[in-house]
Amino acid sequence: MKERKIPEPKPLFVERIKKLLTEKEDLEEYWKIVKIEPVNSIRVNTLKITPKKIKEKLESYGWVLNFPWKDHPEIFVVLGKNPTGKENEILINESLSKLEPGELGRSLEHLLGYYYIQELSSMLPIIALDPKEKESHLDLCASPGSKTTQAGAKMKNTGNIIANEISMGRMRILASNLERCGITNTIITKKEGRDLCKNFENENIKFDKILVDAPCSGEGTLRSSPKTYLMWNLNSIKSLSKLQKQLLKNAFLNLKIGGEIVYSTCTHAPEENEEVVNFILNEFEDQIEIIDFKLPVKTRPGLTKWGEKIFKEKVKLSKRVYPQDNNTEGFFLAKFRRIK
Amino acid sequence: MTAIENIKILEGKERKEILDSLKTQFGIEKFNGTLLQRGKERIFLYEGSFDEEDLKKLEKITFIERAGIYLGKLEDHKMRLSIEGSQILKNEIKKNIVELDNQEKDIWMMGHEILKKTGLNGFVIMKYKEDLLGTGKASEEKITNFIPKSRRLRDRSIEK
Repeated sequence: MKERKIPEPKPLFVERIKKLLTEKEDLEEYWKIVKIEPVNSIRVNTLKITPKKIKEKLESYGWVLNFPWKDHPEIFVVLGKNPTGKENEILINESLSKLEPGELGRSLEHLLGYYYIQELSSMLPIIALDPKEKESHLDLCASPGSKTTQAGAKMKNTGNIIANEISMGRMRILASNLERCGITNTIITKKEGRDLCKNFENENIKFDKILVDAPCSGEGTLRSSPKTYLMWNLNSIKSLSKLQKQLLKNAFLNLKIGGEIVYSTCTHAPEENEEVVNFILNEFEDQIEIIDFKLPVKTRPGLTKWGEKIFKEKVKLSKRVYPQDNNTEGFFLAKFRRIK
Repeated sequence: MTAIENIKILEGKERKEILDSLKTQFGIEKFNGTLLQRGKERIFLYEGSFDEEDLKKLEKITFIERAGIYLGKLEDHKMRLSIEGSQILKNEIKKNIVELDNQEKDIWMMGHEILKKTGLNGFVIMKYKEDLLGTGKASEEKITNFIPKSRRLRDRSIEK
């Protein structure tokens, strides 16, 4: 794959990544892969079509597909398409050409809601949360709806999902994606996440599963969104960390006893990841347990030290997903259970 | 009828009116889920486990933007099903179906009317092979298109 021109990362960002990736070769692999566009991945909407049927349809366009995770047959990577010899075609190699810009989103199958374009690592939080039929589910920061639609499909439109979003503009995108995917078990609410959780607590409304896919500095999304390099700064990491702690703390109180919550971000910054996990473990010491979970990708354990900060040993059970390990974007996930 | 701020749960006579119209128009006998109305005509289908009491409790603590998805529009006591409405009710739809060929399917999904004598009049379900493509309105010589802009195939002839 060809490297792209990307904005120059800020020196402090470079320094922090170097602290996270201490092996020279690992660091080089990281800087190499973040300059390359991410692979095209889609998730079949099993509410509307089977993976087998859509595979046939997409292959009839000459699309070349790959199925990265054998336990998740609904997840496809679109490697490219068979070359047609047309003018302007960009060849990846002799037998593969690039999809046209926007081609994935313009197909009839996409317009009919048969699949959702979703980056592989963004599919991981729902795989970790593992929603089941008839459960009650809260998706606290739901837009644009990739994870809500994934949960809705897993739950086969049974149970209930409350998909919350504070921004009106983002809520419209959420509503349109839920509609296209035919998600009928979902109620969309519009409220600041921390306040919504407090209100649920006051009304004693509890959930089996909660996803806090928190707003974050997006360091993991450099491949699809190189503009993150320009927006990156330490102050926003610090203020996001405060918000993330409050969101997770308030959301945790909405769990039923025995209920589970996944906290995820698309950043590598430990202030937004392990520090938040450590905070919640301290805050609810005897009510919470951090639990292990399986993912279909290579992960690395959560950090127990960052600069002067020392975290609990159990924070290791959270998972870091690095782009160079799986040819994905970067992600962070932790899973907890309420025990009291 | 029960009203939440911007959503009305349809019960009794109002729900029956919609179910009757689905039966008369498309032969739909079985229908599950809660019907809700937003505005004067937009009908939504919610199949989650919250009942009316739960929805009211929820409304007390937050603004509910919507529940479920857009099923279709009630026009002159007749239902015009959305793409999702036609897909969800796929196995129940028995009549007033127009089967399209490959070329017609593309024309339809680009948002154009279909010039075709079907012998049908009023709302019809558009179908291409196994794919349900929403509702059109058939008159003597054509079928009027209602595919929303955001769901249309790109029309390359216009782009050129």
